[in-house]
Amino acid sequence: MENMKKIKVNYPYLEKPVEIYERECGHKIVFAYKRGELLNISSWVKTGSINENDENNGISHFLEHLMFKGTNKHKAGEFDRILESRGAIVNAATWKDYTFYYVTIPKGTGDKNFKDTLELHADMMLNPVIPDNEIGEPFDLNNPNITTKRERHVVIEEIRMRKDQPWTTVYNNLNANMYTSHPYKRDVIGNEQIISQVKREDVLNYYKKYYTPSNITTIIAGDVNPDEILPMIVKEFDFKNRQNNNTNIYEIDKPVQTQKTVVKYSQINTGFLMFGYLCPEAKDIKNNTILEMIGIILGEGYSSRLYQNLIEKTDNSIFNIVSTDYYSFRDGGNFFIQANFKPENKDEAVNLIEEQLKDLLINGISERELNKAKKKLKVSFAENSETVSDIADTIGYYMTVCNNLECVEEYVKIIDSITLDDIKDTANKYLSLDKAVISILLPESMK
Amino acid sequence: MEKYTLTNGINVIIKKNNNTPRTAVIMYVKLNEDEKKTGIYYLLSRLFLKGTKTKSSEEIANILDENAIDLSIDKKADYIKFKLLCLNEDINSGLEITEDIINNSTFDDLEKEVFKIKGEFEADLDSAKIKAQDEFYRTMFKGHPYSVGRKEILESIDSINKDDLFNVFNDVKYKFKKNISVVSGLDSKELKPLLEKHFLNLKSIEEDDKRKKVEPIKENRVSFVEKEDANQAQIFQGWHFPSVYCEDYPKIILLNTILGSSGLSSRLFLELREKKGLAYTVRSVFEPFTLCGNFFVYIATEPKNIKTSLDGFKTEINKIMKELISDEELENAKNNAVGKRQFYTETNLLEANLSGYYEFLGLGYDFEEKLIKNIQAATKEDIINTADKYFSTPNALCILAPEKYLKNIATN
Repeated sequence: MENMKKIKVNYPYLEKPVEIYERECGHKIVFAYKRGELLNISSWVKTGSINENDENNGISHFLEHLMFKGTNKHKAGEFDRILESRGAIVNAATWKDYTFYYVTIPKGTGDKNFKDTLELHADMMLNPVIPDNEIGEPFDLNNPNITTKRERHVVIEEIRMRKDQPWTTVYNNLNANMYTSHPYKRDVIGNEQIISQVKREDVLNYYKKYYTPSNITTIIAGDVNPDEILPMIVKEFDFKNRQNNNTNIYEIDKPVQTQKTVVKYSQINTGFLMFGYLCPEAKDIKNNTILEMIGIILGEGYSSRLYQNLIEKTDNSIFNIVSTDYYSFRDGGNFFIQANFKPENKDEAVNLIEEQLKDLLINGISERELNKAKKKLKVSFAENSETVSDIADTIGYYMTVCNNLECVEEYVKIIDSITLDDIKDTANKYLSLDKAVISILLPESMK
Repeated sequence: MEKYTLTNGINVIIKKNNNTPRTAVIMYVKLNEDEKKTGIYYLLSRLFLKGTKTKSSEEIANILDENAIDLSIDKKADYIKFKLLCLNEDINSGLEITEDIINNSTFDDLEKEVFKIKGEFEADLDSAKIKAQDEFYRTMFKGHPYSVGRKEILESIDSINKDDLFNVFNDVKYKFKKNISVVSGLDSKELKPLLEKHFLNLKSIEEDDKRKKVEPIKENRVSFVEKEDANQAQIFQGWHFPSVYCEDYPKIILLNTILGSSGLSSRLFLELREKKGLAYTVRSVFEPFTLCGNFFVYIATEPKNIKTSLDGFKTEINKIMKELISDEELENAKNNAVGKRQFYTETNLLEANLSGYYEFLGLGYDFEEKLIKNIQAATKEDIINTADKYFSTPNALCILAPEKYLKNIATN
């Protein structure tokens, strides 16, 4: 077997260290041992809307759909039918930094399920044919007489579905206004105009450019012996001298310098709002961890500041929902505060959230809050080590977005090292009021 | 797996599993009386975390979050479920707070919680899917408590007072049948004294089910929800199927697998999504309640596709009622349905949930084995007969879309 670099990583709450093998071509293979009857096989590709532009926005996600449309060896539908007939869950997902494909399947007796899954998964990853008849003809969105509808129509329905979701609408408007030039500003799914027109050739060229060995990490989570199955994986993932390409580097956008508010209207009865902030790159583990902790203290759970101060301790609160979220991305994360509120109190809703932010920036947090956030973050690792799919997803994220898994070993130490001053400093660096973009969705009657 | 009964009549199941670091404790409380005021069980389930004789809601929230303890109370159609999930090392704190909320809740925050529920429901109803789904249940189970959705609760919730709550609280504590299931890395020797300490104060009495029976649908029911700016129509079509206790249950699981619940290879997915490009989401769902089953098909599609989608449903339903499935499709469905069951026990929480659910139903915690055997024993004839038996009954249809598309459907 070819020479490979091997690294072991002690991963919290797993019985054995995670093993990572890097092949000469750059393809990485990861084994995470988990006792049980289920296996997860996934491949994570370092591409998503980060590698798109105004002309091809949505192509990463469209390709993800089309990867299921067969190879020369297995026609469209065969992959799903064979695996699902053995109880597997098969799917894929596309986000800003990555696209991943996974199969979670009962181990069964012997190694037949593993071997067959590996063969089908590797074939799908390396040899998609993306036939024209499965993509469907490019079409005019205004033509009411389209009768033959194929995968591009499925994706357009997915876009329609998202348009009917108020939280997605308010998030997309926020996201588009947080960035100036970085590709993160685009919605991952793209839009109907592009999807109705994109050509097979464009999709294939995109596939060739980004589905390269060094861009792909294959993860096996479950009760497996790496020594036995590593040669099988190497054999099935035969890249046949496929060349690697350089990673695209983008200029990182600066946060807005004065607060920016954008408003949209829809046929709804309540108000939706999101505060959004640009945050540090994923590889800055310490600041990302601190921002996650701030999120917990400010807006996660019933004990959080926003919930207690804006809902629980207020008579006739104007808020129905208020919470925080943190997304970590390669070129910079996003911190969000999201709320649903009585629309007639829009200005008050914004002011009340700002007051909570000001308090955090000026006074910091308490020791008790710090300890709570530390405990919750550590336990989230326990939570994510319970299923083979959660283990694979966490590893996939680190391998793809942070470029390594070793940072997981440091993670618990970093959590323990964070001080009250760290929290205050990071909050002031990233979450000042003038750096916020605020997106609001209101009932049409308020136009 | 170990099963025993506490002296107060609560059946307990304990299973040891060292494979994950968290302990799961589930308690099912059987609701065998209809609500005297609509929404009272839901309101009660919300108020359990809102203050006891010794702790305010904020203190409860702090204890839970500071120990990363996940404690929740869910009201479903047939039961209230208490769920406790925490690191093994925090089990004492978790059970202490669970005991406190079950025994000592005060409902002092009633007014505030009602206000919050109203706001949350209003926010929920801004989702087209939730709005349509609520209307679908209303149409499907007209006049029965299974039909109760956000709208009905909003209409009734102001009439619920503290006395009403204490009455049902006492039923939950001292009357309704309960069962507990625990899956944990801890030994049963450690767990048993803890369960006795924290749950012996309750009582569990087996009584006849006094709930109203579900009336069959006598003729097709249709309801429309207008939403002018909807980008997609939301379509639900459902049939009354038998409850989980029926011997047809394993056959219905297979029928559902073949028709629309098996991911990317079901008939509805292949015909309506893959071949016709009508939708991103299309599926069938079977909800086996204890009084009646709810089998429905669902699609979200561009409003101009409503008729094509309904025709597609009709074609697939007729096909499975009239054409014998192939040996291969039956075999695949069995392997899918049985294989998928591995997922239902992957974590301590899932396993405690499943074994507790079967115990709640009175089917025994080992029902899973019997169910798998019966799935494997089903024949092609069983599938066609089951489909014909239930799909030939009248159904309930609910569509949400802009008015002009609904008019077209109504006139056709």
